[in-house]
Amino acid sequence: MNPVHEIGLLAARELRRGIRSAKGIALGALTLLGAFVASLVCVWIEGADRAKGSAESTQAYVELKRQLLEQATGDAKFAAYLASIPTSLLIFLKITVWLSPLLVALLGFDAVSGELQHRTVRFWTVRSRRWSYLAGKFVGLWGLVGAVTLALNVLAGSVALARGYVTPGELVRWGARAWFVAFCISGAWAAVATFISSCFRTPILALLTTFAAFFVSWIAGAGGFVSRQRQALDAGIAPHMAWYEYAYPNAYDTLLLSPETTKVLTALGILVGFMAITLAAGSFVFERRDI
Amino acid sequence: MEPEGAVAARRVFAEHAKGAPSGESEVAVRLRRVTKRFGSKAAVDSLSLTIDQGSVYGLIGPNGAGKTTTFSMIAGYLRPTEGSVEVLGFAPTAVDELRARVGVLPQDALLPASDEVGEFLVHLARLQAVPFKEAIDAARSALAGVQGGDWWRQRCGNLSHGMAKRVALAQAFLGDPDLVLLDEPTAGLDPRVAWEVRHFIQSKRGRSTIVISSHNLQELEQICDGAAILDRGRVIAAGRMAELTASNDEIRVKVARGTPRGSGAGAVPLQVLRDLPAVKTLDYDDEGFEIVVQFDRKQADAEAVIGHVLSALLENQVRISGVTKGRSLEQRVMDLT
Repeated sequence: MNPVHEIGLLAARELRRGIRSAKGIALGALTLLGAFVASLVCVWIEGADRAKGSAESTQAYVELKRQLLEQATGDAKFAAYLASIPTSLLIFLKITVWLSPLLVALLGFDAVSGELQHRTVRFWTVRSRRWSYLAGKFVGLWGLVGAVTLALNVLAGSVALARGYVTPGELVRWGARAWFVAFCISGAWAAVATFISSCFRTPILALLTTFAAFFVSWIAGAGGFVSRQRQALDAGIAPHMAWYEYAYPNAYDTLLLSPETTKVLTALGILVGFMAITLAAGSFVFERRDI
Repeated sequence: MEPEGAVAARRVFAEHAKGAPSGESEVAVRLRRVTKRFGSKAAVDSLSLTIDQGSVYGLIGPNGAGKTTTFSMIAGYLRPTEGSVEVLGFAPTAVDELRARVGVLPQDALLPASDEVGEFLVHLARLQAVPFKEAIDAARSALAGVQGGDWWRQRCGNLSHGMAKRVALAQAFLGDPDLVLLDEPTAGLDPRVAWEVRHFIQSKRGRSTIVISSHNLQELEQICDGAAILDRGRVIAAGRMAELTASNDEIRVKVARGTPRGSGAGAVPLQVLRDLPAVKTLDYDDEGFEIVVQFDRKQADAEAVIGHVLSALLENQVRISGVTKGRSLEQRVMDLT
């Protein structure tokens, strides 16, 4: 059987399982509720921004945003591009990207470890290659997180649209872009979560290890960000990312939002490589272990 | 009479299994000096075993004998520390070559709780490279085979132990694979369900090579053509069931309690019995009140020897309680382990 077909069958089942399980339903409901509140907050922030000072006209408001973004990024072209994104969508993207590792960890920690614990995996390994089983789990988890992220973006966009902060055209253009960024980044988190899940028979150990790994990655990203902001304040120019920041998938959001195609493609290439290496390592271990 | 859907589904599986070198080898499973260690402990120690195609074969032994470890290595769940395992001519992990040709009932694997029974079986059939519509037919047929036709829409997590076992059995036989591995197929089942499961397995005899690992020796004696008796990770006896139970060259006659040996009326006439045709050795167990006769199978078969022995005993007015060909498998295992 074609491995792609095999992975497709496994991923489709994983998606069904994720949507249908009690954990999936509870997490989905909580996430949507949280997203609704978050989108109200984002819209409120945008409303407060717009009401501030003399920035009454849209043009003046965008110019104010551009100046602030240029200060933060040190990149005039990027700041001008980013300033045209509706604030509520931009804030919501940041929230989505920041929370996606949590969502991935909670949805994916038992994807493999749960089936190892109860030996349910044994029904599959006589019918599918172990590496495609793992890849199916990854694609299923990524797809599930992607679907949840899409729902969140639609929700946040609808609230912004209702308040009149975005036009339908802007919503489609920027909403799709924001979802794409969050989706690509969540793939890297999903690969790590799947790998860790395949290493443990006890789901709680997989969950704790996933949290620990994500936290270490976050420390790398946060450390790099703080260091860059300090340098920017001292020198007045924001420096490039430190090498260790590349271990933090969320750090790629700036590159993925860039107006320059090469930067977007570079970020995509790194993220795809990150996923491929993580899954290859996971498959190597999973192929050799007793189940 | 088999339903048409089942025949069609089996044909589809057979077509999809085309290209596999079925029938090239007469051996279904071959283990060569296989050792499996967990830390410093060897669960299986240099075990060699050959199981012929078409047979129903039992793996027997006490707890800790290495049955499940051996079974798990044949199924590809565990990797041997040393030695090699061959299943239908391939390594057990060669999924592509063995796809749809091997079915397994793992002993303690839970079914996926949130899946419906029907969709679970269809999904597994699809992974066996069967197109969607035929996969539905195959799943329905497999489920009907275990009397579970009504469970299609039930969640696996809501099934009773007996129902779950039968669904697991259905997935093992999905598409009538060449080799089916069953680990404790009737463990924990009530007698009626256990009987149904045994009946189901017997109905599959001849279609697949079946390997059963079980504690239930009576069941194995009923079902299996051959068996290997394991103890402490080694094979201590293996062969056809008739050889293991010595049913072709030994008979046992139980007499009434208190029957003495001797030539008088009501006593066991040992010398008369030893002089009967084909008898090689004869012993009388005074405590168990059992006569054990070993005979030359080239001169006479078991039934002829039973006739001679019973005639001699009845002539001497001995009260007979029962006659068996050979030892029971249980006795044989107790002797060896």
